[in-house]
Amino acid sequence: MRLLQTGRWITVIGLALLPAVYVRAISFTPVERMQGAAQKIFYLHVPAAIWTESAMVLVGVASIFFLFLKDPRLDRFAEASAEVGIVFGSIVLTTGPIWGKPIWGTWWTWDARLTLTLLLFLMYVGYLLLRGAVTDPGLRARYAAVLGICGMCLVPFVHLSVYMFRTLHPQPIVLKPSAPSLPGSMLATLAFSFVVFTVLFVGFVTQRYALSLLREQAAPHA
Amino acid sequence: MLRHAWRLARKDLLVEFRSRTAILSAVVFTVLVLMVFNFGRDPTAVAAVDLAPSIVWVTFTFAAMLALNRAFQLELENQALDGLLLAPVSRSSIYLGKLIANLVFVATVEGIGLPLFALFFNVRVVPVLGPLVGIIALATLGFVAVGTLFSAMTARTRFAELLLPVLLLPFMIPPLIWAVLATATLLAGRPLSEAGGWLRLLAAFDIVFVALAFVLFPATVNE
Amino acid sequence: MPENTPYMVAAYIVAAAILVGYAVLLYRRTLKP
Repeated sequence: MRLLQTGRWITVIGLALLPAVYVRAISFTPVERMQGAAQKIFYLHVPAAIWTESAMVLVGVASIFFLFLKDPRLDRFAEASAEVGIVFGSIVLTTGPIWGKPIWGTWWTWDARLTLTLLLFLMYVGYLLLRGAVTDPGLRARYAAVLGICGMCLVPFVHLSVYMFRTLHPQPIVLKPSAPSLPGSMLATLAFSFVVFTVLFVGFVTQRYALSLLREQAAPHA
Repeated sequence: MLRHAWRLARKDLLVEFRSRTAILSAVVFTVLVLMVFNFGRDPTAVAAVDLAPSIVWVTFTFAAMLALNRAFQLELENQALDGLLLAPVSRSSIYLGKLIANLVFVATVEGIGLPLFALFFNVRVVPVLGPLVGIIALATLGFVAVGTLFSAMTARTRFAELLLPVLLLPFMIPPLIWAVLATATLLAGRPLSEAGGWLRLLAAFDIVFVALAFVLFPATVNE
Repeated sequence: MPENTPYMVAAYIVAAAILVGYAVLLYRRTLKP
């Protein structure tokens, strides 16, 4: 199937570029003075976080359109995005604590990115669990769409909360795991990594979408 | 629409309060949770007032979950939901009716729970009762609104009691946190204006999610 | 070697494992849907 092949190729390209990101980040990007090598986790953590959140927007928007247009392609796309959202979310939730331990001294912190990603992760899991629990495909798609829309709408509230919490409890600026102004070299590495993560996201979603399509074709519903 | 909703709510509430099992188990559960919290802490190390907001809200959250789990179960038995859908009542009325019934249920449990909490933990709530009730009302509306919508979906699934909390959890966490923070501000004797940000978030959450639930509810019951 | 290198290595390995792992998982699932 062509879509699947396309997805596979995109994924392969992404995976092939990943070592290049690694090499660039490790050997060709300066070491940050205060955090040492651990800061380089940033180059994987941030693109993953961006896509984890973007995936929720994709799920939400696809869900809205699905409820209006009832096109099953939109539902398949939402499902694929949610699953890939879990994958990228896992990267954020594992690299985050590994980064946090040497810097903050604890494995977990309730910083903006980790908190939001944790909630997103829980929502994605819930989304897939709901899909798994409903047998009728029409109902499943509608229910998933409802949940997806609610999930997307929750995200701004989390951002607001974090912002409000921060203004009340200012964090130490010195060792913040996100530099507001990056030197050019670091910015370039981050951009490169983001591009590769995007390629991987697209490849994964395409394949996962194709998988749904294949399954439906194999066992067509009435 | 309001009239239909009110009739639907009354029907649910009559069933609930006549049987009394649900409300009774919710209250008993609340007492249990309060007791566990009390014996779980070292009174010399932790002042009741510091833990109080968290205790209150965890208790109320569990009570809300209990209420919501049963929300559509009434209809599930006897296929009554189909009957309800065939009736000349708008989908929104059905949602509103369910919402009102759930709110009354949870409010009752909270109404019993709050004085008990004040009693067990020796926390003075009367001086801040007005604003406190306001915070409780705002937060409760938020999670019951979302919970009622979700319970319409989970009611027909296999592991409904397990699935509903899982789905609801991410949506309860933000309002819960804001409520705890606002309650903490109140119980610490600080002016309500300091909790203004949290209250505004609660209000915004309520507006957005009640509206969203109204709009989305038909999608959960239409064939 | 700059400080905290072991953490960096651990995180980089975990991220790669997740990405490659999922790619493999998808591949196998799509072989026989």
